[in-house]
Amino acid sequence: MASLLSVQSLAVSYGPIEAVRGVDFDIQKGEIVAFLGANGAGKSSTLNALVGLVPVASGTVSFKGEDITDWAPENLAPAGLTLSPEGRRVFGALSVAENLRMGAFSIKDKVALEAAWERVYTLFPILHERRDQFAGTLSGGQQQMLAVGRALMSNPSLLLLDEPSLGLAPKIVGQIFDLIALLRDQGVTLALVEQNVSMALEIADRGYVLASGKIVASGPAAELARSEALKSAYLGGE
Amino acid sequence: MDLLLQQTVNAFALGGTYALLALGLAVVFSIMGLINFAHGELMTIAGYTLMYCGIAGVSFMLAVPLAIAMAMIAAVLMERIAFRPVRNSSGATMLVTSFAVSMILQVLFQNLISTRSQAVILPAILSQSVTIGGLVIGVNKIAAIVATIVMLIFLDIFMKRQKTGIAMRAAAEDFNIARLMGIRANTVIAGAFALSGMLAGVAAVLWVSQRSSVDPHMGFLPVVKAFIAAILGGLGSLRGAVAGGFLLGFIEIYLAAFLPPGLQEFRDPIGLSIVVAILLFRPNGLIPAASLKSEKV
Amino acid sequence: MKKTLLASTMVVAAALAGPVSAEALKIGLATAQTGGLAGYDGPVIEGLHIAVDEINAAGGINGKIMIELIEKDVRSDAAQTAIAVQELADEGVSVLVLPCDADPSLAAIGTVTTAQIPAISTCASSPTLPMIGGDYMFANFPGDNVQATVSAEWAWAQGHKSAYIIYSPDTQYTTMPLYFADVFSALGGTMMGQDTHTIGQQDFSAIATRIAALNPQPDVIMTSSYEPDFPSMLKALRAAGVTAQVIGSDGIDSPTTFSLGDVGEGVVFSTAGHATEGSPLADFNAKYEAVTGNASETVFNAVGYDLVVVVAEAVKAAGGSTDPVAIRDAMAELENVRGATSLITYKGTNGMPVREVTLIRVKNGARELVGQPSPTASLIPPARMQ
Repeated sequence: MASLLSVQSLAVSYGPIEAVRGVDFDIQKGEIVAFLGANGAGKSSTLNALVGLVPVASGTVSFKGEDITDWAPENLAPAGLTLSPEGRRVFGALSVAENLRMGAFSIKDKVALEAAWERVYTLFPILHERRDQFAGTLSGGQQQMLAVGRALMSNPSLLLLDEPSLGLAPKIVGQIFDLIALLRDQGVTLALVEQNVSMALEIADRGYVLASGKIVASGPAAELARSEALKSAYLGGE
Repeated sequence: MDLLLQQTVNAFALGGTYALLALGLAVVFSIMGLINFAHGELMTIAGYTLMYCGIAGVSFMLAVPLAIAMAMIAAVLMERIAFRPVRNSSGATMLVTSFAVSMILQVLFQNLISTRSQAVILPAILSQSVTIGGLVIGVNKIAAIVATIVMLIFLDIFMKRQKTGIAMRAAAEDFNIARLMGIRANTVIAGAFALSGMLAGVAAVLWVSQRSSVDPHMGFLPVVKAFIAAILGGLGSLRGAVAGGFLLGFIEIYLAAFLPPGLQEFRDPIGLSIVVAILLFRPNGLIPAASLKSEKV
Repeated sequence: MKKTLLASTMVVAAALAGPVSAEALKIGLATAQTGGLAGYDGPVIEGLHIAVDEINAAGGINGKIMIELIEKDVRSDAAQTAIAVQELADEGVSVLVLPCDADPSLAAIGTVTTAQIPAISTCASSPTLPMIGGDYMFANFPGDNVQATVSAEWAWAQGHKSAYIIYSPDTQYTTMPLYFADVFSALGGTMMGQDTHTIGQQDFSAIATRIAALNPQPDVIMTSSYEPDFPSMLKALRAAGVTAQVIGSDGIDSPTTFSLGDVGEGVVFSTAGHATEGSPLADFNAKYEAVTGNASETVFNAVGYDLVVVVAEAVKAAGGSTDPVAIRDAMAELENVRGATSLITYKGTNGMPVREVTLIRVKNGARELVGQPSPTASLIPPARMQ
């Protein structure tokens, strides 16, 4: 069976700085894939390049068998690929409900839209409770839920989560990881960038370790957890 | 007391027109970081539409929606032809582009229409006045106040209830993330220009109904006022634009009304000093935009 | 020794200049084709072209000196005017034409004086222009102080006892009401107050409200503001319930003033001429219509025509010379030149011509001649710097 997402020799540059230097990976339907590595290793740049937020310097990205390398960001959500960005980036001046409505912007079908509302409000009762509140006034954990909920509103087949636990209290982090497991059970494929290595590898099926814009190790999560490459990646060696 | 009330009505009418103008600039700025100095030429286009309608004998009731529609079409064309190619350029590039568009249009007006001011035929009722509770209020003042209220209510509903309106607010705050949701950049930006054209059109009708003429440079002064009002309110913030417009109107009218005669000559410098003083205390304006730092497309 | 050398050099220069330009008179136009003044210079230049074409078609001035126009756009900008004038001087023009407003015209003074080329503003009416501009600067319009004297004397004769002025300190021209106030007071009238505005000011409601609150109301409100300010001002005054006689000046001699409907009715303003039947102005208007296919909408067309008439007369009086200095000297002595708008005299003035002033009233959306009175010379206030 073909991969849901397949990436070949992906490179991303910011001016003269090469953030990602030719990475290859793939994601199969139904799995959770973790991307690990120190700050600046190129994890977020990789995810952002997949959804078109930063331009791809070279390489190809294909999703569901289609070449999406040069697609504009607005065309990816309708195709089933979306990102919950690092730092949550909810629309602070919009209400919770408006944020969610925007998440479902590409859904034209009324029944599907109703189902999306139902699903997100069931997953996050707190968002329903606070639906008329400005998103900017939510707590950090609630904003993270909103960011994930907003991404889910588009009914993605592949959801990219960039640092979902960043800056959250340990108890909330636990909730977020429970949610990720729940989403997998619901049939959502997930790619996860995480600083919290142990929790990420606990939940993921497979992982890729990046250092200085390259993949230095990959494999099943349990194997990676024991690998030397992972340790040296976080200690800054290459 | 009566005098104060009377001047307050004047201030509301002028402030309302400024608010519509500033809103027109803010709608576009909030989404693409462009201060469109050609906004004034949209007004001029609406003004010329009124003029030609008058010559052709089209009734004013029909000429007004036509003028507003022309400003909207011109705004959308302006975006498509001039601003889309520089959309991803720096703010300075876009600013210079807008100046260029403004100048090109002015020269076109001069060469294709006339360098001279053209009379606009207006219904007599706009020059009349009514007495309400001892206050003498010009019909065009009432029109300005009513038009402002209607436009603000319309905008509020559009921005809160309409999917496109919400998308425009979302895009104003964080354009990249909005695009991730499937919100099309072209749609939102074209929508913002259409909206700003509509606001320019309404403001132009109010503006022209006071001056009764239109010339190639008509748009320059209002766009400067709109710019001041938008900065005063908080650039890129729609509520700020409204607040800034009204505040500027009040400052101008109250100074003209109540400064001692010896100081009247310095009215404008005093008015601008007040604006600067307000900005010293609130550098980001009265109601700053939600996303001062967020990236623009 | 040195002196002789210099003198002989000048003779040679003059001798060289003489024959070269004998068959053509170069007139340099440094006027506004674009920008805010274009609306004023435009009609004047139109009329100027009609006169030039007419003279050239008849074989030139004195039947042999063809007029050649060199046109430059000064974009309504003072610095650009100075540059254009320098370029025209370098091209050896004999006469310069400058923009309608005194301020850009004054920017050209340095070049005009150094190059010793007579310069005429298309329609500036500020008496300070030739005063500051010196011997080579000429105006082509009834002076502000003369216009104000005519309207003040008229207002007084109508039995108006009190007046209020609204002016803008932004330009020389828009301060004409200050002359009006001088004359009206000298006649015994009461000045009830004054207001200022900026050019392009959209809103006059605050001023109108304040005037409406005056008790008693002034009989007359005088202003020299023009479009777009004048219609806004007038509408605001009328909407506030002010019914005083409004007196304006030549700046509002435009179609807009006659299309204001009821609001415009009864407004009186001073201008440069009126086409009564059989008058030279009526002849000119017929000519204008024959050439352009449109009726002349403003007296400024005729004012442009007169400018060329004056230059041609000066060339004739200089014995057919195209030497700038000779033309200047002859122009300063011109007396009772018959123009389309008026008899024009420069003799005895500092360059501000003596011309008729016409008072027009807006009646039924058309112009009605109030009169063409001569001002009382002793009442005309001296030119002032504002």
